[in-house]
Amino acid sequence: MGETPSTPEPIQRLIEAFHRLPGIGPKSAQRLAYHILGTSEQDTAQLADALMEVKRRIRMCSVCVNITESDPCRYCNDIRRDRTLVCVVEQPLDVLAIERSGGFRGQYHVLHGVLNPMDGVGPEDIHVRELVVRLQAGEIQEIIMATNPSLEGEATAMYIQRLVGPAGVKVTRLARGLPSGADLEYTDDVTLARALEGRREI
Amino acid sequence: MPSSRERSYNTEGVVLRRRNLGEADSIFTVFSPTVGKFDGVARGVRKPKSRMRGHLEPLTRSQLHLAHGRNLDIFTQAETIAAYINVRDDLDRLTLALYCAELIDRFTLDRAPQPQLYGLLVELLEGLNEEAPLTVGRYFELEVMGLTGYELQLMACAVCGVKLPEAETLFSPSAGGLVCDGCRGIAETGRILSVRAIKVLRFARSSSMGQFAGLRLDGDLEDELRRALGDAVKNVLDRETNSGRYVDALSGPLRRPATSPPTDVQSSTPSIT
Repeated sequence: MGETPSTPEPIQRLIEAFHRLPGIGPKSAQRLAYHILGTSEQDTAQLADALMEVKRRIRMCSVCVNITESDPCRYCNDIRRDRTLVCVVEQPLDVLAIERSGGFRGQYHVLHGVLNPMDGVGPEDIHVRELVVRLQAGEIQEIIMATNPSLEGEATAMYIQRLVGPAGVKVTRLARGLPSGADLEYTDDVTLARALEGRREI
Repeated sequence: MPSSRERSYNTEGVVLRRRNLGEADSIFTVFSPTVGKFDGVARGVRKPKSRMRGHLEPLTRSQLHLAHGRNLDIFTQAETIAAYINVRDDLDRLTLALYCAELIDRFTLDRAPQPQLYGLLVELLEGLNEEAPLTVGRYFELEVMGLTGYELQLMACAVCGVKLPEAETLFSPSAGGLVCDGCRGIAETGRILSVRAIKVLRFARSSSMGQFAGLRLDGDLEDELRRALGDAVKNVLDRETNSGRYVDALSGPLRRPATSPPTDVQSSTPSIT
């Protein structure tokens, strides 16, 4: 066996660091690493600084587990928002999506994941406990389960319903049906059945 | 490779699991009666306008059209045959179905067709979609082990082969089933099974899933069987199943009270002699 052509150690380290990121394969990791080599020192410093800033300044809200710079976060601190209504979402990005819709004036709870039995993600791996603690304060009257309408999202919604239902809190689920621009012909049976169930008078 | 190889093919299958790939793609593991277990990639399936998305949710039985790809085959069309909507609407049924899907995933090799095993999975999903009790999971475990070459020895001693009477007996997964008193020293590990549990296990091996579903098992017996077969599955796979641990977690403090009063197994299984 001849010696494998060696990459200088610092570049190798960078490649490995990129490779650990989601969706980055070995080739992309190499490309990114060599791209960094070609950029100015200032740009690289900005990138490094941005990375560190995120870790330094962003934390999780102690109430809703959303990512925030200040604790509690702006949604939990906003006295104009309805404190009896909590929308439970999978990811921080989902909070932004719901905020963009403009139709929600309650508070949030971010699970940072969903139950996924096949991959071994259980209740202790997502932020369910914090939700239970919030409920114990007694102010919350309704929980809106806004997890994705996937198998895992549904499982999570049912799990939380079972967990908090006995405490007398109303648990609701986002409606499911046809997205705008959809084609009936290609719609799956589950979605169509739910759309029929949830039909509305016009 | 035959030069006349078709560029695409049709098959039906049950989606066992999904893994996300890149920005909008997913890899699905599908179990098909004609192809066996295989991975395929669906491009753009996570975009809201994807026409395949709902048809490729895990635990959906779908008619599939695939094109041969360089590494993985590529889903080009998918249409639901059965979505088992009642399974999705009930956490216990859903969890059990996912556990069974994981068993299929772990007990099979890639691209080795096992139509009988496929039939079993479809029967389970159909059963759970109707009124079958969760105990069909035990029937499924036994049947999967039987069909994949890990049949448990339930009638005779797994070590010496002596015929076993209907009595409390040591159940040793590492030995491959029940072990007579004389061979206990040889079997390293195991747990003592009650007469009732042994009767249920034997009944399962000689009955259909429908007949087994008619059994009413009380909570203790159900737990005993679940633990014993859980050990057996773990012994074959050499590890815990992901979803099995999850079934345990859900059946802990959150377990719902039994909806029907338990009946002794002996009174409801007249066919056991």
